[in-house]
Amino acid sequence: MKLLSQTNRIYLAFSLVIYLLTAVAFYQIIRFLIYDEVESRLNVEKRDFEAYVRSHNAWSSSPYFVENKIEVMPVPAQTARPEAFTDTLIRNRYDDELIPFRQLTFYAPIRGVMHRVEIRKSLIQTYRLIEVITITMVLFLGLLLLGTFWFQSRLSGRLWLPFYDTLSRLKRFDLRSSTPLYLQPSAITEFSELNEVMQKMAGKMQQDYRSLKEFTENASHEMQTPLALINARVEQLIQSEQLTKTQTNWIESIYQASRRMSRLNQGLLLLAKIENGQFDDVQHVDLTAELIQRLADMEEVLLHKQIVVKIIPGDAFKVRLPPSLADSLLTNLVSNAIRHNRQKGYIQVRSSGNQLSLSNTGPALTSDPATLFDRFKKEAGSHDSFGLGLAIVKQICDTYHLGLSYHYLQEVHTIYVGLLSPDTNMR
Amino acid sequence: MKVLVVEDEQGLAESITDYMSKEGYVCETASTFREADERIYLYNYDCIIVDLTLPDGDGFQLIQSLKQFSATTGIIIISARNALEDKLKGLEIGSDDYLTKPFHLSELNARVKSLLRRRQFGGHTEIRFQEITVVPQSRNVYVSGQHTTLSRKEYDLLLYFLSNADVALTKVSIAEHLWGDNIDSADSLDMVYSHIKNLRRKLLEKGSGDYIRSIYGIGYKFGLP
Repeated sequence: MKLLSQTNRIYLAFSLVIYLLTAVAFYQIIRFLIYDEVESRLNVEKRDFEAYVRSHNAWSSSPYFVENKIEVMPVPAQTARPEAFTDTLIRNRYDDELIPFRQLTFYAPIRGVMHRVEIRKSLIQTYRLIEVITITMVLFLGLLLLGTFWFQSRLSGRLWLPFYDTLSRLKRFDLRSSTPLYLQPSAITEFSELNEVMQKMAGKMQQDYRSLKEFTENASHEMQTPLALINARVEQLIQSEQLTKTQTNWIESIYQASRRMSRLNQGLLLLAKIENGQFDDVQHVDLTAELIQRLADMEEVLLHKQIVVKIIPGDAFKVRLPPSLADSLLTNLVSNAIRHNRQKGYIQVRSSGNQLSLSNTGPALTSDPATLFDRFKKEAGSHDSFGLGLAIVKQICDTYHLGLSYHYLQEVHTIYVGLLSPDTNMR
Repeated sequence: MKVLVVEDEQGLAESITDYMSKEGYVCETASTFREADERIYLYNYDCIIVDLTLPDGDGFQLIQSLKQFSATTGIIIISARNALEDKLKGLEIGSDDYLTKPFHLSELNARVKSLLRRRQFGGHTEIRFQEITVVPQSRNVYVSGQHTTLSRKEYDLLLYFLSNADVALTKVSIAEHLWGDNIDSADSLDMVYSHIKNLRRKLLEKGSGDYIRSIYGIGYKFGLP
């Protein structure tokens, strides 16, 4: 959720609560004032009544009262209670409507006989008043609320503009490019500070990235050169005719070790490079066609191991990958399928628009299939591999948003490479 | 034939020089960019072997300036960087080949020879070893004048042997020469064995001498018994 809509939402909820509370308080205050007024008038009428009774010593319902606003009733003396105000509803004589009244009940002796006196005043006018005031208030407060809400969103939209600008520039920022991050200066202190910090951080990141990249390359160079020297010296050494069997064996193992180290180094460097995203010439690659080509290239090995290649026709599986990584991916998959195959086994390629699978016959895994794509996980007996091939495949798939899974059924291993969702890789 | 080796690692430069000298080349070395730059300005070489990363400069730059003085000199890049971009850039600015370190001296030697053949005689040259004659341009092989049919790999194998005559070759270097770096060694060594067996049989059938010897624990050697 956007910051602005979030603040607007909170602001709106808060204002609503405040306005409702205000409205309730307002209503209560007006009601209190009106009751106070009505009750003081009832008190005045009570005094009038008492004065009248005192002077006349009698009470007569005067026709002066349109509604029976004073009701006098003789009651037994002991029922007398202190005076009290009550609300009551009385049916209108004319249009049969219940009308609210405020009523003062008190007890007064008239000619020695205790009477209960009820004086009433209609509240109908005051109720209407409250209604009108409330409606007007709600209306105006509502308008005010909408007005401030609109103004607020417009204002903050403008205020936050530099922030969104910074954000979009950050999104477009590419660590790998040599152009430094440029952010529009802002008049607002917080934003200009933010931009400053961001620019500093981006600069540092680019510098670190460059030095990491250089380190990777230098490490490669520094290691490959001594290895080349070992190789060269071994090659010179084997030219000697006077080598004993033991010496030959030693030389052979030195040679093997240096070769392994060189391959290991290359594998790790490749992994580091993929992780650092140092391949950016992404292109459309038809993996199916490339895979079939790789298998054709391996024809002799396949022939040697008497492995049959079955290609099941289907749509070409096309992805976006740097060509050199597509090559690594397929080479590793193919050599894996050959290495772990058996004599007279088969390799099967199945392809569809969004998935490519490569199956090979071979004995069941001795290790946990869940760790198949981990680094340095290798099958018992395959001393010649490092367990980096499938880790490289995994790293490529992860980096370029491709799905990778493994399935085993009755001596057939299948590795699937597929699109995760229709467009993640194609973006 | 004059070859200049531009390599800052002294030991490696020495190994290359030793190996190439045995093949009859006149080898000179340069261990810095400045030294190399001076040499290519002063002398003429048939082939130069350049390391891309030099302590005081970039190998690419050296190639570019070399191209200005002498367009006919063959150029082979040896680099620790196994990056496609570097290979493409190297070919673009006029180098002829690219080898990634670590490489086999025998492979380097074979590449230098094939490069020089192409450069010097436009490929119109024959390679002879006793009664065996190879015509690289048409990829034909004759034993005592008789045409011998070899498969593509057998031909490559024979040429590799001829380029490195009288040199002990490791099985691995042969496998990598025939199938590239990515070949899985366990299978390839068997394949090397069967290809050598077939090549030897075909040559013997046409009446050639038996020149391929296996060396215990190491590999093979092609040469007079």
